[in-house]
Amino acid sequence: MLFMMRTLLIIAGLACWAGSLSGQDFRFVEYNLDNGLKVILHQDHSTPIVAVSVMYHVGSKNEKPNRTGFAHFFEHLLFEGSENIPRGEFDDYINNAGGYNNANTWYDRTYYYEVLPSHQLALGLWLESERMLHAKVEDVGIETQRQVVKEERRQRMDNQPYGRLLEESMKRAFSVHPYQYSVIGSMEHLDAAQEADYKQFYADFYRPDNAILSIAGDIDIERTKKLIDVYFKDIPRGKGQVYRPNIVEPPLKGEVRDTVYDNVQLPALVYTYRIPAQGTPDFYAVKMLSMVLSQGESSRMNKILVDEKQMALTAGSFPLELEDPGANIIFSIAGMGVQPGDLQREMDAILEDVGKNLISETEFQKVQNQIENDFVTSNNSVAGIAESLANYAMYYKDANLINTELSRYRKVTREDLMRVARQYFHKDNRVVLYWLPKPKQP
Amino acid sequence: MHTFRLISIALLVACCLPAVRAQQPAGKAPKIPVPTGNVRSKSPAPGEAPKIQIGKADKFTLNNGLTVIVVENHKLPRVSYQLFVDVDPALEGAMAGKKDLFGDMLAKGTLTRTKAQIDESIDFIGASMSASASGVSGSCLTRHTDKLLEIMADVVLNPTFSDDEFDKSKKRSESGLQAAKDNADAIAGRVGNVLRYGTAHPYGESMSEETLANIKVESLRTHHQQYFKPGRSYLVCVGDITRATAERQARAYFGQWASGNVPGHVYDTPKAPAQTQVDFVHKPAAVQSVINITYPVDLKPGTPDAIPASVMNTILGGYFNSRINANLREGKAYTYGARSTVSPDERVGYFNAGASVRNEVTDSAIVEFMRELRRMQTEPVPESELQVVKNVLTGNFSSSLEQPGTIARFALNTARYKLPEDYYEKYLQRVQEVTARDVQRMANTYIQPNNAHILVVGNKDEVADKLKVFSPSGKVNFYDSYGRPIEDKRMAIPSGVTAQKVVDDYVQAIGGTAAIAKIKDMETKSSIAVGPGMSLAMRTAQKDNAMILVEMTMNGQTLNKSVFDGKKGVSMGQGGVQVLEGKELQDIKEQAYTCKEMLYSTKDYTLDLKGIDQIDGKNAYVLQVKRADGKETTEYYDMQTGLKLREITVQDQGGQSITLTNDYADYKAVGGMKVPHEMTISGAMPIPLKAVVSEVKVNQGLKATVFSTN
Repeated sequence: MLFMMRTLLIIAGLACWAGSLSGQDFRFVEYNLDNGLKVILHQDHSTPIVAVSVMYHVGSKNEKPNRTGFAHFFEHLLFEGSENIPRGEFDDYINNAGGYNNANTWYDRTYYYEVLPSHQLALGLWLESERMLHAKVEDVGIETQRQVVKEERRQRMDNQPYGRLLEESMKRAFSVHPYQYSVIGSMEHLDAAQEADYKQFYADFYRPDNAILSIAGDIDIERTKKLIDVYFKDIPRGKGQVYRPNIVEPPLKGEVRDTVYDNVQLPALVYTYRIPAQGTPDFYAVKMLSMVLSQGESSRMNKILVDEKQMALTAGSFPLELEDPGANIIFSIAGMGVQPGDLQREMDAILEDVGKNLISETEFQKVQNQIENDFVTSNNSVAGIAESLANYAMYYKDANLINTELSRYRKVTREDLMRVARQYFHKDNRVVLYWLPKPKQP
Repeated sequence: MHTFRLISIALLVACCLPAVRAQQPAGKAPKIPVPTGNVRSKSPAPGEAPKIQIGKADKFTLNNGLTVIVVENHKLPRVSYQLFVDVDPALEGAMAGKKDLFGDMLAKGTLTRTKAQIDESIDFIGASMSASASGVSGSCLTRHTDKLLEIMADVVLNPTFSDDEFDKSKKRSESGLQAAKDNADAIAGRVGNVLRYGTAHPYGESMSEETLANIKVESLRTHHQQYFKPGRSYLVCVGDITRATAERQARAYFGQWASGNVPGHVYDTPKAPAQTQVDFVHKPAAVQSVINITYPVDLKPGTPDAIPASVMNTILGGYFNSRINANLREGKAYTYGARSTVSPDERVGYFNAGASVRNEVTDSAIVEFMRELRRMQTEPVPESELQVVKNVLTGNFSSSLEQPGTIARFALNTARYKLPEDYYEKYLQRVQEVTARDVQRMANTYIQPNNAHILVVGNKDEVADKLKVFSPSGKVNFYDSYGRPIEDKRMAIPSGVTAQKVVDDYVQAIGGTAAIAKIKDMETKSSIAVGPGMSLAMRTAQKDNAMILVEMTMNGQTLNKSVFDGKKGVSMGQGGVQVLEGKELQDIKEQAYTCKEMLYSTKDYTLDLKGIDQIDGKNAYVLQVKRADGKETTEYYDMQTGLKLREITVQDQGGQSITLTNDYADYKAVGGMKVPHEMTISGAMPIPLKAVVSEVKVNQGLKATVFSTN
């Protein structure tokens, strides 16, 4: 489950930087089966392991408004078993083979993967094909996972200082688009779910023409294709169109201000700016602007707020990677004795400055260098490569961006940074949350 | 969903550590049979297992004693470096946390570079660098490595610890300490260390506000001079680098580092408690309990027990299908994840089994933990389960080799702990050799359910009492968030005192039933300061134990008026008129009574005397009052005067529960009855609101029309 602030920072730092650089070339084979399943294969013999993954183009965004949290809940349920795999044995197969597996859910997609010793490739294919063809969920599994997800929510959000940051921000930044709901969703909705809901959700979204099978590692391409045919070719294509919300969120038209009380000691200030979808030219500019603001100790917010003025314990800015127009979160946690109002004045001054003045050539070069470094650092494991390829293919319809995306950043100019600062990071386009300590309890 | 991989790898790295490189003839993947026939009904046969071939990391030593480790991997055009100083930990006592401050400041200025210059240079080349008490690490693209190393070396050799940066660092640490106070995991980590190792061992020390104030900047400079010497240090280079380049760079940047001796220290080895004890840290409003069952163990890296102990722990709680996780998560659904760790260490290691669980199952979760711990000791592990775990460890180990950093860590640890050079080469073989009998022996050596700290960080009022059963002494020990013991101030209820008696004493204390009965109506005016120069005026009127009006105004404008006329209740605000129903109607009806506590003896109320607690230094009876419609309040009555000091209610507001606390003070007699003239309301607003009564009138003949709901 990916929705914590820290995870987001990591995503912001890593996930999207795949691009092309001289000397770096990820080769891959891409094709479709007749049932619509997209397959991407990348061969790398350096370690005898293989990552087998399936990305489904369904996330919390595709949920019904009275069934929020369903996509993530479903992710839990799809470890329960299938027609041929009794409850609980899914993980046993992986463990027995000396592999590991995991899954995560985001607003736009759900992702399953296992990393196995390379001679166990067929096992990964069998398990994923079982999950796609005829997953089986029993009542006892549903009840158990319902509770587990509730504990997950408590552990990650309710019992965690600032843990509801994203949830509270997004629900105010969006009023009609489903991004307003958190990925983990409403526990009441999960309680209300009926068997028919599960069947429908599975039929609607877990189908080969809504998925990408991405494999990277120590494989033989031709043999892998044969194995994929054995396990995936006969899975029937889904019926009808996949539901994709076509909801255009109207502009905010004025600053939204609110206060959240939490079990925290230090107040925090959280801005949420509405920004364009990932992959658009302006998104790249916003992302670079975020780096100007908070990547590295010499970035604006770290240098001014944390170091020079000593007003913040920590500060950061990151755009959410979303396929519909989304949001950029900027936050800072106040240092001891610092009033949130004073912190806001300083944050606003920093944001106004990048909208009024061009950043220097040197600072711009710094951000270019950071992008290049981050790009090389990402994709350093077969699991990461499999995921990057699937992401690019699913969101951008171009897996080769793993080699070429850097050129998109190269098109951004200093003038663009100033323009997007003005265009998106302005007051009428944001939610401002004062995150304050709850009053003392007895 | 599954979080076990990292843990098991960390574990492996800790206990078995040589230099390896998985290699395969280029371009050859294992040949996997293509299944035919009914392919779905059973799992496919694997291909032939690939052979894991083991290479070595390069290692050499400079004249000044610096050990250099090189792991070549040219897949990506980048190099990462770690300059690790193996500092022997020393007791810091009144200056506990000195090391942390030292690490925080190390990269914040050198003889020739300010902090800002260091930051600019690192960021400009797109590099990352971080410092800690044991040195500095960084990574960058191959073409920038000399620039990065120049700064890393400067930071290690010439830090200045300026007064200015010291003040900033202290301030940051203060904020950091403050922020951690609401983080249950951070508290559990810190208090766990104190409990396991005690404050007489360096591992048990941690920074507090007091020790932070004691730290002087000179002591950081001294620390640097004493401990940062090449003879106890390692330069680890991983990535797109050759041995020749590493030699040149090591000499160029660290060759002039002057050698010298460093102080060593010996401390008594911490012992597990003589009998299991329950240790509790109260975290107000916690919705989960963080449970850690923990104690120190004497297990050193690379010793013969290290691998079998790791196999044993993996069965117990070291992977997703481990017994603890299978039971507490997949079986009982108490938690999102439960696990255990046996961590070897050259001085003293530890055992820990833990999970975050919802409040109401805290005791049940501990029962299951203890059951699994004991089962490891009494039952031999079935061969099939043992084999799965061996496979898990083998697989995790092999896939961790994908990262060259793993190989470097193995090499570093081989050098640090003086392990045999073939320690890792033998690792997988040693894992395979572990028997069920070994596992049971390890369980009986390193699992000690009868000598453990059961540490819980959570909501004391909801959880603590139920944990006594796990403590042979019947006692729960309370600690603050730094692990300092605090006395449980709760006293036993004196014999003869019942819930009803507490209420009767209260009625008596405010004037007695006869005096109360004489009051036919009452009107109160009070004011609540809400900001500089701003105040709310509140007026309440009651009549005949049947009608009430509460009106809030600001600058003459009515903000809200709630009225109950004996039958109907309404709340009139700026948003319109709302007819009160359900609990809200009952609430206002109750408030119409001059002394609502006199209702407590009726069948609509259930009373429970919970104990004695302290309110602002006064001992008070804690009374739980349950109304027939489910509404609950907790009330505190002064043991000495009988007067009510506090009332707590939990209200549901838009799906969030809000705890409202009313404190009563300054009781004064009006018309024969004592009325509190000061009331503090906390929980409704971020700051407590204080209502001060300015006027109380009784029996002025209020008319029923005052209470009109129309």
